[in-house]
Amino acid sequence: MDFFAAQDRARRKTWQLVTLFVLAIVGLIFATNVLVAIAVSFSTTTGLARGVGQTMRDQSAETWWLISFAVLICIAGASLYKYFALRSGGRAVVEMLGARQIDPASQILSERRLLNVVEEMAIASGIRVPAVYRVDEEGINAFAAGFGTDDAVVCVTSGTLDHLNREELQGVIGHEFSHLLNGDSRLNLRLIALLNGILFLGIVGRLLLRGGAHTSGRRNSNAMPLIVLGVGLLVIGYAGTFCGNLIKAAVSRQREFLADAASVQFTRNPHGIANALKKIGGSVSGSHLTNTRANDVSHMFFGQAVTLFMNGLMATHPPLPQRIRAIEPRWDGRFLQGALVSEAADVPEGASGLTGLSGGSSLSAHEAVVDAVGNPSAASLAQAQTMIAGLPARCVDASHDPWSARALICVLLLPDDRTARAALTNVLEPQVVAHLPQIEAVVGALDDLQRLTLVSMSVPALLTMSRPQYDRFVADVVALIRADRRIDLFEWVMHRVLLKGLKSHFEGPPSVAVRHRDLDAVRDQVAQTLSAIARAGGHDDDAQRRAFDAGAAAIELDLQFVASDPNFTRLNEALRDLRALHPLAKPRLIKGCAACALTDGAISSERALLIGIAATLDCPLPPDLAL
Amino acid sequence: MGFGTLVFLGIIVVLVVWVIAIYNKLVTLKNRYVNAFSQIEVQLKRRYDLIPNLIETAKGYLAHERGTLEAVIAARNQAVAGLSAAAKDPGNARAMEQLGSAEGALGGALGRLNVVMEAYPDLKANQNMMQLSEELTSTENRVSFARQAYNDQVTEYNTYKQTFPPVLLAATFGHSVDASLLEFADRAAIQEAPKVKF
Repeated sequence: MDFFAAQDRARRKTWQLVTLFVLAIVGLIFATNVLVAIAVSFSTTTGLARGVGQTMRDQSAETWWLISFAVLICIAGASLYKYFALRSGGRAVVEMLGARQIDPASQILSERRLLNVVEEMAIASGIRVPAVYRVDEEGINAFAAGFGTDDAVVCVTSGTLDHLNREELQGVIGHEFSHLLNGDSRLNLRLIALLNGILFLGIVGRLLLRGGAHTSGRRNSNAMPLIVLGVGLLVIGYAGTFCGNLIKAAVSRQREFLADAASVQFTRNPHGIANALKKIGGSVSGSHLTNTRANDVSHMFFGQAVTLFMNGLMATHPPLPQRIRAIEPRWDGRFLQGALVSEAADVPEGASGLTGLSGGSSLSAHEAVVDAVGNPSAASLAQAQTMIAGLPARCVDASHDPWSARALICVLLLPDDRTARAALTNVLEPQVVAHLPQIEAVVGALDDLQRLTLVSMSVPALLTMSRPQYDRFVADVVALIRADRRIDLFEWVMHRVLLKGLKSHFEGPPSVAVRHRDLDAVRDQVAQTLSAIARAGGHDDDAQRRAFDAGAAAIELDLQFVASDPNFTRLNEALRDLRALHPLAKPRLIKGCAACALTDGAISSERALLIGIAATLDCPLPPDLAL
Repeated sequence: MGFGTLVFLGIIVVLVVWVIAIYNKLVTLKNRYVNAFSQIEVQLKRRYDLIPNLIETAKGYLAHERGTLEAVIAARNQAVAGLSAAAKDPGNARAMEQLGSAEGALGGALGRLNVVMEAYPDLKANQNMMQLSEELTSTENRVSFARQAYNDQVTEYNTYKQTFPPVLLAATFGHSVDASLLEFADRAAIQEAPKVKF
């Protein structure tokens, strides 16, 4: 599956959807006009005698414009409201459902297992580790929500925790990650907002109906049109929702097959996801949710979350047997009874045989990097498991606790020099400083990639901070980075990877509109980026220029090398512009960056920078990229 | 169906959206502080799990200080009960106050134990004991951090509830009572807010 093409497809699909919804809205406006005419003709005895058509002709054109306008305002208002309510990203959805964040340091086995699975998958796909939530529901279901990978959250039901084993969980989470990486979850959030506008007409109808029924006790003649209008709006509102659901179902169902396939590719284990689906089929509650709000987000879930009237047509997910057969063509049709999973310690099962599998492709090394963006393989997963297992236990524990995760990040940013270190610790809270020596002892020997992995693993714990704590923490981190009056490579990457993820959660994800369709328009920015990579890799001027030229050649543009950029200010500005590139223009840029980094045969010192640049461009890089 | 009616309907629509927005915001903020309380719960539980080990280790040395040890155990059990009551209804004033005072009593009992231990250098030098007290201190820090986060969320919820439009509706939507901050009695050192530095 091609990450960039998938992103582009999701983007174009948004426009298709908007078109369909506009059509639905035009239909609704027309229906409301007819309805008002009926209501008016009910209100006068003469009107009733003359019929609805005549009443419509009687009223001036202005009235109909006004009514149409009012309906439009209603729909647009309600959609916009929902859009703004959802602007805080994935977090808004889980909070709407009343889900609870699972403690990142949880020692309850079923929770620990899930957290580990999510952690491995996130590291394998190069995105920051998302916060994991649970809702107390018996059904087996899960979803991922977010505009991008930075504000992503993963949510599962208690049923999932109780009934699925590690293999099956991996299948389910792999499916959800595929939605996140393909931009499906962004599309899903927009769908909720649009649908809310149409549903709102129905709510107004219900209110009018209640108001009408209330008045009718006293003055009969006046209430009648209100009641008719109310019933009418209710019908129209539900008709609108019906159309909306049809569209939602049509869009959603196709993507489920894609996500199932991606999950198999990711875990290289068709039985995991197939057995999870079989367990849904075999369990009493299936994948259903009792929460009434689940209906709004039904298209985000792993399995069918709500049963609808005319299920075949409006189901957001394809039928279970069809999904299982797509994965296991020779399935005997028997579901699995959802027995509770046994309590055994959580150990990733032998992924050892898979590490070598990424080699042997006919692609050149830098093309392999492009191919790997947002497209983690089973080898990436194995690599991530090995990497996490290789981290000191004390660091891993520290990264899971909000308090010590802060200390861990500070330690990673402290300079090696003793005196400089002592001066810096004055900046920090005394309690954090007291905790530093413990962590310092184990962090020293870690390489850049391990450090970045720890940063990513710390994110869920750091997300549990309150806003004032977050503000304080960010101020500390920035102070540490700036303290020695220069910003080194690792500090820059750290700032990028860490703060990008936290900012989306606390301040809402940024909206990045596509502004540049072609790399030609952003030549200078591309040159800045390539120069930064070349400077990071080459020791002398000559080597740097050679690396730069290789990158420029891969991009096929004529570019000017930039010899210096203290404090990364120009790189930051350049990346801000490059972020607004069209998804289909990005692979060429990534190819150039990779080619530039690979000139001296290996991505070593440039690796951290490459990860930082890719993260800023929203192109998650798996850790096993062309090692 | 004149212009006036439409304006009237328009106003109703705006009001409805507004009310829904207030309702949702109240629910969200409440969920946030409940979530924040579960962080405190995690850390306090960890603390309560450490204490029996501490007592077990100290027992061998402190044969003549039975009273002090028993006071710690009693205070710990009290605090465990307070926590489980508070976890059922985070933000409830009574539950928060009880947990706060139970925690305060536990802190006091542990403090007295520390004073007693000063007289037993052997115990203080015990490897196990050193590790346990180190972990207790570190948990203390975590608790105070989690408590700060919880209190921030509670304050945000209470403030929102008391601002103008929500104040009219909060009670109707079942948010009549302010959520309670969690304060630990007799713990001035922890309660002290981190100093602002420039």
